[in-house]
Amino acid sequence: PAQAADPGDPFAPLARETRPLSTRWQTDYRGAVELGAAYTSDDNFTFGQYNGLDEQGVNLIGNLQWRDYGNADSTWDIQLTDLGLPTREGRVTWGLGQRLKLELELDSQRQVRNDSGATPFRGTTALTLPGDWQSALQTSGFQNLQSSLRTLNRELERDRYRLALEGRLNEAWMLYGSWLYEEKQGTGDIGAGIYIDGASADATLLPYPVDYRNQEGELGLRFAGNALQLDAMLQYSGFDNQDSLLSWQNPYSSFSPAVRYPQGYGGLALAPDNEQWSGRLSGTWLLAPTLRLSFDGYHALATQDEALLDYSVNSALNVTQPLPTASLDGEVASSVVNGKLWWRPLSGLEVEGWFRARERDYDVDRNRYLYIRGDGGSQPRDALAVYNTAHDYLSQQIGGELRYRLSSRHRFGLEYEYEEIDRRNAAVETTEEDRLTASYRIRLAAGLQGRLELSWADRAASTYYWDQSYYALLDAGLINATPDNQRFNNHPELSQFYLANREQLGARLGLNYSPIASWSFDLDLRWRDDDYDKTELGLTGADWQTLQLSASYHPAAALTATLYGGFDRYRADQRSRAFRGGQEKNAFAVTPPLPQSSDPTRNWSLAAQDDSLNLGASLQWQPAERLDLQLAYSFVDTRARQRMSAAGAADLNPADLPDVDTQLQQLDATGQWHLRDDLTLALNYQYYRYDTNDWAWRNVEVDTLDKVLGSGQRNPNDSIHYLGASVIYRWQ
Amino acid sequence: ADSCLDCHLDSADHPVNAILHTPHASLAGGGSDACMACHGSSASHVAAPTNAAPDLSFGPRWPLASTDASGACLGCHAGGEQMHWAGSSHESADLACSDCHTLHRQSQFSVAQDPATTGCLNCHSSVRAELRLPSRHPIAEGKTECTDCHNPHGSSTPALLRQVTLNDNCLSCHSEKRGPFLWEHPPASEDCSLCHQPHGSVHDRLLTARGPALCQQCHAAAFHPSLPYGAEGLAGGSPNQNVLGKNCLNCHGQVHGSNHPSGARLTR
Repeated sequence: PAQAADPGDPFAPLARETRPLSTRWQTDYRGAVELGAAYTSDDNFTFGQYNGLDEQGVNLIGNLQWRDYGNADSTWDIQLTDLGLPTREGRVTWGLGQRLKLELELDSQRQVRNDSGATPFRGTTALTLPGDWQSALQTSGFQNLQSSLRTLNRELERDRYRLALEGRLNEAWMLYGSWLYEEKQGTGDIGAGIYIDGASADATLLPYPVDYRNQEGELGLRFAGNALQLDAMLQYSGFDNQDSLLSWQNPYSSFSPAVRYPQGYGGLALAPDNEQWSGRLSGTWLLAPTLRLSFDGYHALATQDEALLDYSVNSALNVTQPLPTASLDGEVASSVVNGKLWWRPLSGLEVEGWFRARERDYDVDRNRYLYIRGDGGSQPRDALAVYNTAHDYLSQQIGGELRYRLSSRHRFGLEYEYEEIDRRNAAVETTEEDRLTASYRIRLAAGLQGRLELSWADRAASTYYWDQSYYALLDAGLINATPDNQRFNNHPELSQFYLANREQLGARLGLNYSPIASWSFDLDLRWRDDDYDKTELGLTGADWQTLQLSASYHPAAALTATLYGGFDRYRADQRSRAFRGGQEKNAFAVTPPLPQSSDPTRNWSLAAQDDSLNLGASLQWQPAERLDLQLAYSFVDTRARQRMSAAGAADLNPADLPDVDTQLQQLDATGQWHLRDDLTLALNYQYYRYDTNDWAWRNVEVDTLDKVLGSGQRNPNDSIHYLGASVIYRWQ
Repeated sequence: ADSCLDCHLDSADHPVNAILHTPHASLAGGGSDACMACHGSSASHVAAPTNAAPDLSFGPRWPLASTDASGACLGCHAGGEQMHWAGSSHESADLACSDCHTLHRQSQFSVAQDPATTGCLNCHSSVRAELRLPSRHPIAEGKTECTDCHNPHGSSTPALLRQVTLNDNCLSCHSEKRGPFLWEHPPASEDCSLCHQPHGSVHDRLLTARGPALCQQCHAAAFHPSLPYGAEGLAGGSPNQNVLGKNCLNCHGQVHGSNHPSGARLTR
């Protein structure tokens, strides 16, 4: 029978081996270089989404490792990978024994989200339409739309450079620091509308420029003594967006001449520059051989003071009141305190107690903004103003755990935690949650282990002030003119799920069976159920189940084979009520109360179910001394389902949405033939198949929607072959 | 033989000399002394190499108790990243350093697997499934690793997160969403996981549910936010802007917060 890795501990994981084979080709060499060429069979944006292989054609395979650890006084290590791709990486490390280490890293990434879209807009931050653009009230009226379109590639590139230094001051103290500079550039997409009334927005999907720079620095001091270990660190993070405004020419002919094409423009605020300073002190203190205290304290101050944009980019609109402030001058102070006491009073018995607190304090002046809705009209009358609001959050957790080893075959655990969350300027001021977890581990027989875990949690929310956001947002003059029963933004019976009462049950079963040393089987079964039992409208329940199985065969050092498969299911039920009236159509209109908001026959519900099946196999085999083979195959099949139902109102007949199916298959085969001790030929073949039928984009052309000028992007349907051949040369 | 390296040659059945090209090569002055720095002087093993284990052997032939195996490493690596190892969930699960780290090996080009990811997924099989879903982080490509977000050696934060909160973890790469914004979306600034599944999702953008249903879990205001959107709104029927394309985000594009003075509805 198989033995646990640790014969003295029956609960230690049973032996498994899925790592690369140990062969002599991995051993005594100082450097290696790999050069070759690869071919990708077609343009794509799923196979190459992150690996730089999104374009058809030939690319260079180039990798380098070169190191020298033979001289204890001076060591160095150079690693360069993917030199022929836009995803290249490199790291150079130089060390002076154990005293000093200097590291320089570079990392390039590319993310291709979709290359099949189109847009009529030109420019980057000030988007304009072609000179012969013919506007209309709806997209179907854009006469020369097709001839105006150009390709919209949603693609981001990120380059990151990092310099790190470590210096050992003596046996116990070490000083370290690093500086990181990052650039992210490319094109994303964002939806935006020009409107006066939210129910009649003229929307457009826009290409938006990503031109970010980020700098991060840290300086730290570590102490590692026998009884006390400390790490104190100061950090800086600065985010710089080169662009603050995205403006676009209105393609529609709605609203006043100052708003419609060609004079009218819309404006979006892009991510503001910000910076954050933080300090962290963490440590462990061995109070006695069986008593240990660990702690972690953190404080950060994030600030943002970018100049506010004008109320509208349309200079022809009438602005009667200026901005209340030139810039936000916002601050978020975040603090975290974590502490844990561990005690082993008896052999086999461990006790832990902990306390955690997190506070996010958003400090900003509350101001009055007489805002221009959707760049669609001049400033409204004085009472129709809105106020910004600061949101604070404080979470405190206290808990304890007992772990007891009853005998050589049984181990029990019991954990309890209480959490209180207090929020300022939220619909619910306080939530309290009790959590209880019991676990049991058993060695059923030699080579057979089991683990069972059961959990229960109950969250109670204080009074739900459904009108809180209404009062926080609007002006007192308007509120006083509004009937009491219309003073809400969200329906009074709606509970936001993260603020709602919830009972949560969970279970987990794990089995590990290794009947003989060469075989290992694993089972992982989990279930969780969330019941929002006091919720009338909103998310009322959700449950998640997953079953994962795997088998591993490792009869000899030269062969490892693994099979795995799993199934996941997530279900969620939500309910809402379709109603007219109230404030959302026009937040400033005082309208007679309509009965729909209190009519339960206008309820509707949605049952969502997400399934995913994943199967895979891998093989690592050295059939001959000079030949290594590796094969991996994976298959993923997902289905997202939504089923609708209504309570009976004649005008509510939502039809079930079609399922969204996605399939992925990938085969990756590699062979290495070691011609000589210092020379290897490598061949890699990959097949990749990806297909989805997402209805959000299926048959949706640029002008399919009357009031949204879309991107016309396609669902991916990729079938890609990749072949790479290379030579690896090693030297001593 | 009086030196480890007299027997443990490059061409041995179980090659171990890759360690001589790592920082451990110079332990205790290097050479065989480096071997003994971790394995002990191992006199009985020298006398009877095939019958007696070294003083400290990390398996697979002669396994060692997990606390002893880890103790050999923690003698040098006790602080810093490993500061919270004692009492951590992995230590409690009887894992030893050698269950994840293999020192006597160099990676091979082409067939190299990232141990920081592969090693984790051997046990965290449900995460392995999530990492292959249609929307995911670039973990398979090695551009993001489990250890970028989690510290497997222990942490004071739940789920062994490196940063002190989940949001700090996310914002360490997505700093453009840090704000603070003039108009915040409180769930976004409180907990990214209320809307996103970091390991992977069936839905685009790592979302926990499809739009517009996801937004309607918290928003039921008069008119369009409260209406049910079914198949009648698909292309070919009566195309609906709250269903197709980016659904709610066709207009409310600034869901992480807006800094526009006219952006109270997160449209600007």
